Amino acid sequence: MGLRQLLLVIERDLRMFIQYKFLLIMRGIWFVSQVALFGLVVNQMVANAAAVAGIDYFEYYVVGVTIITLYSTAMFIGYDIFEEAEHGVFEYLLTLPVSRRELVLGRSIGGGLRSFIYVGPLMMVVLLLLGVSNPLHFLIAFAAMFLFAFGVSGMSITLAVAMKSGDKYDIVIGVLDALIVRLSTTMYPTLYMQRAAPAYAMIANFNPLTYASDLFRWGTGIEGTLQFAPAVGILALFIFFLAFTFVGVVFYERRLEGGSWQ
Amino acid sequence: MAIKSIVQVIEYDFRNFFRYRWFIIGLIAMNLADLFISAVVFSQMANAELVKNYFQFFAPGLAVVGLFASAFMIGREINMEVRREIHHYLLSLPMTRTELAIGRVLAGGLRGMLYMTPLLLTNFIVLHFPTLPQLLLILLTLLLLAIGISGVSISIAVSTTSFEKFVTARGVVYYLLFFCSSVFYPLSVISVLATKGLGVLVTFAQVNPLTNGSDLIRSFLLDSSSEYVSLPLMLLNVAVFSAIFASLAVFAYSKILQRH
Repeated sequence: MGLRQLLLVIERDLRMFIQYKFLLIMRGIWFVSQVALFGLVVNQMVANAAAVAGIDYFEYYVVGVTIITLYSTAMFIGYDIFEEAEHGVFEYLLTLPVSRRELVLGRSIGGGLRSFIYVGPLMMVVLLLLGVSNPLHFLIAFAAMFLFAFGVSGMSITLAVAMKSGDKYDIVIGVLDALIVRLSTTMYPTLYMQRAAPAYAMIANFNPLTYASDLFRWGTGIEGTLQFAPAVGILALFIFFLAFTFVGVVFYERRLEGGSWQ
Repeated sequence: MAIKSIVQVIEYDFRNFFRYRWFIIGLIAMNLADLFISAVVFSQMANAELVKNYFQFFAPGLAVVGLFASAFMIGREINMEVRREIHHYLLSLPMTRTELAIGRVLAGGLRGMLYMTPLLLTNFIVLHFPTLPQLLLILLTLLLLAIGISGVSISIAVSTTSFEKFVTARGVVYYLLFFCSSVFYPLSVISVLATKGLGVLVTFAQVNPLTNGSDLIRSFLLDSSSEYVSLPLMLLNVAVFSAIFASLAVFAYSKILQRH
């Protein structure tokens, strides 16, 4: 596998990301309004319950919103794939002196990396707000976020090439977004999910967003009572990354040719 | 002014609306997940002194969220038509520009009502059914609100030259109107923003038509001991909002398209 070819594919995806500048601005506005409006006001509404769970809800929520932003920007790669299929760029990509595997792996890495580049400044703001109590914990959590971003990017590619239909992709992503964010600990602690409906808490235990957000909180030192050992969280994200990168590569390789995109 | 022409424009926009069925299904899924997952969990967390039952509180707000999102979709289509110059074809149709513009504003509002209907029915099921006069007042308020939102959306759509600028402007309007309203939390809780130097946002939340729309539904659907009472001022507020933005949209759509 040629490293140079791989880097070229990654570079191309990073360049394509800049095309979305206004969508990225909108995501930025969303982030600021979530933190500065929703976060502040809801913090007031749930302060007592948060204290029972041993958290400051505003800090808890700020980290959750960062992870949601990382997730949603990593999912963009699927839309790129449909755009390319619609405009016939796929055929052009297949003519390049790059192997299928390099192309697919490059896209998965590029998809994750560009979301990290976007979320990086937001993370800096979050760190300025929250501070870091243990740099080693933070570095471990930060590395785990890469696994999460690459895994989400792989998941997006897998879904896109598995369906080959923009309509189906839209609906699956819509439903997935609706469920994966809400059935995770990005917005509320497991304790209250358990009280509301034990099934929600059980699903959240298998959700990569839960592991990503809880690990990031652990990294910044704002949540002392992790539901799982940090090693378990890292392992869960590693499995998520490995599964979707591998599945994404295999799917993309097999379904790349033959057209039938809708 | 020919009613038939306006009805034809509305029919055209309704046909277009159903082209986005996948998008709409995704939107419905998100709305229902907000109610049956997030609101259920927040019910466990919300301070009972501030919100007695968050699930019941949020349900009317959700109907307004759905109404807003779907009524706003007309702007996306009009912006696309302007960019692809489809408006030349529309302007060549045997109807006046004012009829075309009125038809589009009304269609945006009616599409919002159509989308919101299942969400409102969910409200009736999980809260209680209103009396007939209450139902009529709720529908009138929501229709006015939907027409106003459609007007805001069209005004932005014809004033922005690219899709990206439209999307950015839409984002600002969306989040400002959603988060500075009583859709997600009561007005009494929003007052916390005043202590953070954001008093202007508290005032904005008080006059926000989304606040008035959702609080008016709450006044009829939540139990009588709740703090929500319907005031004629709420309906007046929504009616003024609707009149201003519907007129602005009709004017902007007629004039700006002609200039393009």
